[in-house]
Amino acid sequence: MVQINFALKEVNCKVVYYGPGMSGKTTNLEIVHQKAPDENKGELTSISTDGDRTLFFDFMPLDLGNVAGMRTKFQLYTVPGQVYYNSTRKLVLQGVDGVIFVADSDPEKMEENLESYANLIENLAEYGKDVRELPHVIQYNKRDLRGALPVEEIDRQLNKFGVPTFEAVACTGEGVFPTLKTLAAMVLESIEKIDGRHQRRPAVRSAGAAAKVAGSGAATAAPAPAPRTRPAAAPAPARSVAAPAARVAAARAAAPAPRRVAAPAAPAAARAPQPAPAAARRLARPAAPAPAVASSLQGFGVGVILGLSVALVIAAAGVAYVVLGQQ
Amino acid sequence: MADNKRISRNERLRQDRLTFYKEDIDRIDKLLAEFLRLSGAKCALLIDKEGHLVTKRGELRTIDIDTISALVAGSFAATKEMARMLGEDEFTAMFHQGERDNIQLSLVGDRTLLTILFDDRTTVGMVRLYAGETAKKLADAYRDVVERPQQDCLLGDEYGSEASKTLDKLFD
Repeated sequence: MVQINFALKEVNCKVVYYGPGMSGKTTNLEIVHQKAPDENKGELTSISTDGDRTLFFDFMPLDLGNVAGMRTKFQLYTVPGQVYYNSTRKLVLQGVDGVIFVADSDPEKMEENLESYANLIENLAEYGKDVRELPHVIQYNKRDLRGALPVEEIDRQLNKFGVPTFEAVACTGEGVFPTLKTLAAMVLESIEKIDGRHQRRPAVRSAGAAAKVAGSGAATAAPAPAPRTRPAAAPAPARSVAAPAARVAAARAAAPAPRRVAAPAAPAAARAPQPAPAAARRLARPAAPAPAVASSLQGFGVGVILGLSVALVIAAAGVAYVVLGQQ
Repeated sequence: MADNKRISRNERLRQDRLTFYKEDIDRIDKLLAEFLRLSGAKCALLIDKEGHLVTKRGELRTIDIDTISALVAGSFAATKEMARMLGEDEFTAMFHQGERDNIQLSLVGDRTLLTILFDDRTTVGMVRLYAGETAKKLADAYRDVVERPQQDCLLGDEYGSEASKTLDKLFD
């Protein structure tokens, strides 16, 4: 639940990294913590076992700073991925405003990915939330694995609602920021929708600016090929599925780069992708073509009328000339 | 029909957003200040169950408020699960004792936590006594916030575009 506090002049949102055990949720958060500017981040707190498994949650506040007079903050959480920690996972989900689902690209982990996604849907339902109405994205992590499942295959099985997806190698930082940026934009956009102003003004620029995977710089300037969109498996409830579907189209159109990520030497954030303003503009003004079509139709009509009038005058003059000639 | 729509929009806002105005926080701050004066505690924070700080009063050195809020909410959520296993709805108070500083948590209504930091300048009995009374008054104030009709368009017109620029600046 978004908290708007006019006394503190703050907007607070809660984002949760979800996914199966060892898929890289904590690693994502660690990278965000390493790369975010000092003035924007708080401490990274982990409640974990002696190993590297999250016991309850990891937490990090991310402060966007002053946005139109309101200090906007994201509280980033991870959940424990192991199946037997479901009760703590559910507790962390309470009041969530956006979810980043971190999937493992290992073929042997596909079943765990599917189970975890189903578990997310189930746990949200217990809080009366529909996953299709909640801003969420999917990150396909560990793309550097030998024998990683093709993205198309994971997408087909996992991305049931056609949400934006990202390839990542979280341990090197690849894809971590683009994933978070898009989700953050979707959450802020949902605040606008909740706030009742969504119809009056352009949406927050979101997925298109960030969907490109960090390692794919070679394709930055390439024109967007036909977007690989797939209709969502279930019909969208009015509030938000339609919007993510549009974002997916834009996100994928903006990310024509090869999906496989070569393990890079430099961390991803250092080579963070450039925004794709064209795609963003498409997001902001989805109805732009309509007036153009209307205006050309109007022009065509006027032309036809003018043409007919001229033809009529010429014909009349011809008739008059013939009649006068005969006399 | 129109009425139904209004109700459902109002309910939707209630589920997705919690808004505090300055007068709400002034009312709550006044209650917290009175509590600190009576109990002799150092600091009082009101934290919602999602882990967001609502307001704070008293001396609070250099503690990371965001983190302490998240941990308090997490800790309370965990005890709720324990309570459920024992057949209770939830525990309404928790106490953590340290060598120098202590924390008392009291449930306010059904979704907010009064978090009190105190040291040996007072006693746990005093803190608990006044915390119970204050929690009831805070629950009334909080109920007024949650149950009032929700308004549209609270954030400025420029919020969306500025948020977008801020994200670009932070992540690119």
